[in-house]
Amino acid sequence: MNALIIFSLLLALMLTGMPISISLGLTVLTFIVTMTHVPMESVALKLFTGIEKWEIMAVPFFILAGNFLTHGGVARRMINFAISLVGHFHGGLALAAILACAMFALVCGSSVATVVAIGSIVLPAMVANGYPMRFAAGVIITAGSLGILMLPSIPKVIYAISTGTSIGALFVAGLLPGMLLTSMLCGVTWFLARRNNYPRLPRASWRERLTAFRESVWGLMLVVIIVGGIYSGLFTATEAAAMAAVYSFFVSVFVYRDMSLRDVPKVLRESANMSAMLLYIITNAVLFSFVLANENLPNHLAEWLIGQNLGPVGFLLMVNILLLVAGNFMEPSSIILIMAPVFFPAAMSLGINPVHFGILIDVNMEVGLCHPPVGLNLYVASGISGLGVTELTKAVLPWLLTLIVFLVIVTYWPWLSLVLPRAMGMM
Amino acid sequence: MNLFNRFLNRFEEIFISCLMAGATLLIFTAVVHRYLCGLPIPYVQDFMLSLNFSWSQELCIIMFVWMAKFGAAYGVRTGIHVGVDVLVKQFDQKNRDRFILFALMAGALFTGCIATLGAHFVWQNGAHHAWLELTHQPFGILPEGPTTPDLEWPTWMVYSAIPLGSGLMCYRFLQNAWKFYLTGSLPSYNHAHVEGLNESPSGTSSH
Repeated sequence: MNALIIFSLLLALMLTGMPISISLGLTVLTFIVTMTHVPMESVALKLFTGIEKWEIMAVPFFILAGNFLTHGGVARRMINFAISLVGHFHGGLALAAILACAMFALVCGSSVATVVAIGSIVLPAMVANGYPMRFAAGVIITAGSLGILMLPSIPKVIYAISTGTSIGALFVAGLLPGMLLTSMLCGVTWFLARRNNYPRLPRASWRERLTAFRESVWGLMLVVIIVGGIYSGLFTATEAAAMAAVYSFFVSVFVYRDMSLRDVPKVLRESANMSAMLLYIITNAVLFSFVLANENLPNHLAEWLIGQNLGPVGFLLMVNILLLVAGNFMEPSSIILIMAPVFFPAAMSLGINPVHFGILIDVNMEVGLCHPPVGLNLYVASGISGLGVTELTKAVLPWLLTLIVFLVIVTYWPWLSLVLPRAMGMM
Repeated sequence: MNLFNRFLNRFEEIFISCLMAGATLLIFTAVVHRYLCGLPIPYVQDFMLSLNFSWSQELCIIMFVWMAKFGAAYGVRTGIHVGVDVLVKQFDQKNRDRFILFALMAGALFTGCIATLGAHFVWQNGAHHAWLELTHQPFGILPEGPTTPDLEWPTWMVYSAIPLGSGLMCYRFLQNAWKFYLTGSLPSYNHAHVEGLNESPSGTSSH
């Protein structure tokens, strides 16, 4: 009964259009005042202690690193490298865009940053080369969503925090699925490009490829720092994020010099703005799950779900559908913070691996990012390309369907996500 | 009032930027320090071992929490806190405006509540004691309040981020509501805005 009241209150408040963080907070406040004897001061205290966790601090660091990478010329050099590799195929520039997104995703934890970084360079170039803007934007929107699947990812950090899963294992687990998705997207793009006879670029020589690789290697080195650092135990995920931020600052300002020291305060301010927004949602969501836990809701739900005899297959199907529906209303962090603690106990008692479950949620978030009404990738691409959201929604369809096929593969083929972290002894 | 607002805006921006940069450098230094401690270089290792960075994690968390609280207030000003506007968009102009104003006032109500609760908490947990001590009054049986584990700072100082940050956020919500009432416009954050990219297209307009 209480569960029903909590969730309907939350839904009602959310639908008025107030910020999600505020509706979470107000729900908790109302509930505590009217229905429990939890002292009120504990709410204010929880707002501080809720994010007083070392793991959460990876979020602002990764955002800062991502902003430096976006503004610092790392993306441009990765694109050049990708073009030299695949430019001569059908739809070469589009394939290069996907590959560049994948490379950028290796070092960046946000899909919006990936779309901005790669899209703002590749989209104009593709249009200049004779691709329709719709095609170009469709490619970038979906390929940008790789940002949260490959290696570091902010949604993964948030999932790890709310369920206590190993961040390092989650990072590595996304690598193989990410590569599969990259090749699936490339396949669809190649097919469409060949049918429409989109232009090919001249084949680059091996010498050109080597030069392009050497140019981009500073950015790609970040992979070594993040994965190597965490894997060797040299530093924790949060420290890796901080090192990534310092390193990308160094590369942008002193190596590539695409950014001057004068631009740094602006990047800092923007990152602080974005991280504070996320941290504010996190604090309020922590408060919310504290109330849920206080009512022992996740356990009741888990018992009920298991009582339905869905089995792992049915359960995962249901989780996927619920997450896809939620993707129509909220952005990834809020969804994970609200839904992960609710489903996690049930998933565990059905014997689903926590890392696999995390990757599954992550891929669902990718889908949500690529379609309206709240898909941020779509809005960002709309800002860059100047196309309306309705048109982009149609443009993105072939790749969105690919993404859904990919989601099914990831859901029912745990080996894909689990083989790497297992081989590396991270779980 | 205008001057006060200008000062507040500027302070907010500089404060959160400095916290962001500071925390990053702090953790970077701590990691490098730990790494150097493990290298058997004569003198350097001894010197490194004589430095103590065990408090860095705690300080970093405190800095980020302060950044989060004040940054959230800055975020209200830049319009980065988004909600679910699917339903509200269906209404006509007049009703939509009502909902937006309601949402802004709800934000002010929540942050106001939190600021009050937080202030009460901080006062009870050492601020009262500190005030009496500062003004040389007898504080009787009032406890001094707890301190943080590593830095041993009084927690009431650390937790002041809640009343101060939430208070500022409440002020920003009220400011937005007032501006919206007068002009009908809201700040909205544009994620696609890229500066410093040479190849940035000319048409990056807001959505």
